[in-house]
Amino acid sequence: MVRLLRPFIAASWYGHRNAPDLPNAVRTVWREKLGRQNGNGPGLREKQSNVDLAILDAKGNLVHWFDGFHRMGGKSLPNGQRQESLGDYTARELQKATTKLHLADTPREEPQLKLPDPGQLGMRVFITLLEERMRAYRAPVVEAVHLTRNDWNPLAYPDRETIIEASLLKKWLSQLYPPGVMERTDPQTKQVYRISKIRGSLSLKPAGSFNNIRYALLTGRIILTDEGPDHFSHEGDIEIVLTYSKTRSTPQSLRGIFDGTYLRFNPMNRAFREVPLQAVFEALPMVDKNP
Amino acid sequence: MKKSLTFLALSMLAITVIRAQTSEVESTLKRYAELRPREKDLSMYRIDWAPSLKEAQSRALKENRPVFLVIIHAKYGNLFSGHC
Repeated sequence: MVRLLRPFIAASWYGHRNAPDLPNAVRTVWREKLGRQNGNGPGLREKQSNVDLAILDAKGNLVHWFDGFHRMGGKSLPNGQRQESLGDYTARELQKATTKLHLADTPREEPQLKLPDPGQLGMRVFITLLEERMRAYRAPVVEAVHLTRNDWNPLAYPDRETIIEASLLKKWLSQLYPPGVMERTDPQTKQVYRISKIRGSLSLKPAGSFNNIRYALLTGRIILTDEGPDHFSHEGDIEIVLTYSKTRSTPQSLRGIFDGTYLRFNPMNRAFREVPLQAVFEALPMVDKNP
Repeated sequence: MKKSLTFLALSMLAITVIRAQTSEVESTLKRYAELRPREKDLSMYRIDWAPSLKEAQSRALKENRPVFLVIIHAKYGNLFSGHC
């Protein structure tokens, strides 16, 4: 899919029909979609989703569009295949569009991996919800958290084991929720409830040294509560390695993990089930070493 | 002799503690390496995303490239940041 998208500049837009800034392309897509729903188009009364994919040429003209999830079912497929994969469906529709475009001058080289940039002192958090029922939800989301020197003070090198309240690290620990799921949203704004409270006492202790590097380990269990009215919480364990020079107490690097569980609500049986939520943290020199 | 034995015992204890803690470091770094997404898992970040449709169209015109637009009929959904 990424190979097929090489020539394109990708963007996303969200909103409703009465949005004051409704782009022309979106207006056209929705007008045609509504026409189909009303039986005026080729796909009479098709089952449709709320996601559409549109291809515009360089001048902004709409070239092709298709429903994001309206893939072919078993009746149309050979070999008894039950349903076309979402990837195959999207690729098939993209190829329809590319035949209408002149792509000779567009870039063909392998695009670089561009992860969100947290700045020199910031932290990258890679979050993965290990959801078995929806493969797309397993895709990692990378959050870049900008930090200041003061944000690193609680993690100064400890001469002996010290206890740190997890709330002091809220700026980056608050990224530990599944951002791609939209599970817990404000019914009015539809914005995801952010993590508002983090509880837990973390142990920060010296962990030996090697050559000119001193190590410390930050470990413990944390409980994260979001800003929803029902005080919804999830929890997990932190394991982080910090390095320090022999002479300075501020960390030189940070690498570690979060291993937790997130409760997802199933409206069908009105019950919660536990889904593993994992994250990886990396900061400081790691920002330069990794793409 | 007693002092030497005490010193030896304390030194061994220190080595044991440091080794034990170092193995914890190794174990954590091993888990970090296991869990960190590989490049193939991060292919979403190989797509040339623009932060907005306006910016995508401005670049498209300059670079003579087409735009792939994801339209979400909802109050919120930002694929650029992965919050959808």
